[in-house]
Amino acid sequence: MSALAHMIETRGVPTTAIGLVRPNLEATRPPRALFVPFQLGRPLGDPGDAAFQRRVLLHALGLLERSDGPVILEDFPEDAPNEQDTPGWAPPFALPVPAMPPAGGWEAALAAEIVLLRPWWEQAQARFGRTTVGVSALPPEAWPAFAAPFLDGRMPEGTPPRGSAALSLRYLADDLKAFCMEAVQAAGPAASSRQINAWFWSATVAGRMLVALRAVAMASDQKGLQTVARFLVPVPWLPADQR
Amino acid sequence: MARIDAIPEPTRSAVLGLDCPAFPEQPFLSGLPLSQRRVAIVTSAALHPREEPPFPAGTPEVRLLPATLPPAALLMSHISINFDRTGFQRDINTAYPIDRLHDLAAAGVIGGVAETHYAVMGSTDPRTMAATADQIAGQLKQERIDAVLLTPV
Repeated sequence: MSALAHMIETRGVPTTAIGLVRPNLEATRPPRALFVPFQLGRPLGDPGDAAFQRRVLLHALGLLERSDGPVILEDFPEDAPNEQDTPGWAPPFALPVPAMPPAGGWEAALAAEIVLLRPWWEQAQARFGRTTVGVSALPPEAWPAFAAPFLDGRMPEGTPPRGSAALSLRYLADDLKAFCMEAVQAAGPAASSRQINAWFWSATVAGRMLVALRAVAMASDQKGLQTVARFLVPVPWLPADQR
Repeated sequence: MARIDAIPEPTRSAVLGLDCPAFPEQPFLSGLPLSQRRVAIVTSAALHPREEPPFPAGTPEVRLLPATLPPAALLMSHISINFDRTGFQRDINTAYPIDRLHDLAAAGVIGGVAETHYAVMGSTDPRTMAATADQIAGQLKQERIDAVLLTPV
């Protein structure tokens, strides 16, 4: 973003950039930038903390009134207050411990999990006013039948909703993660992102299935699937023998 | 948390290994007081209206985000899986501070909020985005925007 800030200001519009990786700000040298020491994905800090977000925003916008550039690179002086684990946090529901591989097959196990989680996902939509699910262009009830054939080395039937079967699988993975992670945030205190990810990758059929899909896609002789494999599971959440 | 030593591998090496472009010129424009400026957001979160297709990987394109678009009408299709999305799931302002910007406008801290905001794919090499910068800057000027806030993920 700092490079684009440079390019837009060169074209005549003043800019201020928020940055999450300080060495990259130092290298690119945008006209004005605020380094924030938050986790990647959260440039404004904690969700739901409007007062904190306002302070970040005011600090970044305030750089526009300074005349001591170029280059202005400031450090936001506060850490995001709720990045640590929430003591005692637990999901608001209990899921059956997933057997690996599922006794009745992946498709049935994922379908059953989606049925269990769906009311919580809908409750999360009421709580947060929206869902981030939708990039796959498939409804949740269609996900098991689309994803499971890949595990048997087959392609799903029908026209892929996103151009190719491999690309559609990649977006389905995004939707599956969002569906589950929104569901587990439907009630109770906010968990840390680490807690939510730890739950998803260890306690859900969906998480285990994505790990299995990654292994199959990595071993596939289809280039599209090999490429997509790298975008299914973040490396820190892979089993140790697959990293 | 995004202090370098807190970013898990292999993401840490990837972000530190980014080939950041160097620029021969160093622009620095002055302007009106903040209370008189109209502000637009440019986000690299690959946000787009729900009815639009996802951002292709590596695309230099920009998507327009009308300020009237409610948060529920936006999706994120960023290629990377190595940043947190749980915060964005709870609150769009975590990555796209549109409500906070409206708050500042209502309080008179800024002069106003742009009618249009902009989203790009953050993993795209910015050296391929000159035409995109032209397009964004052109529309900013057309809408008489005085300041741009750029937000990453």
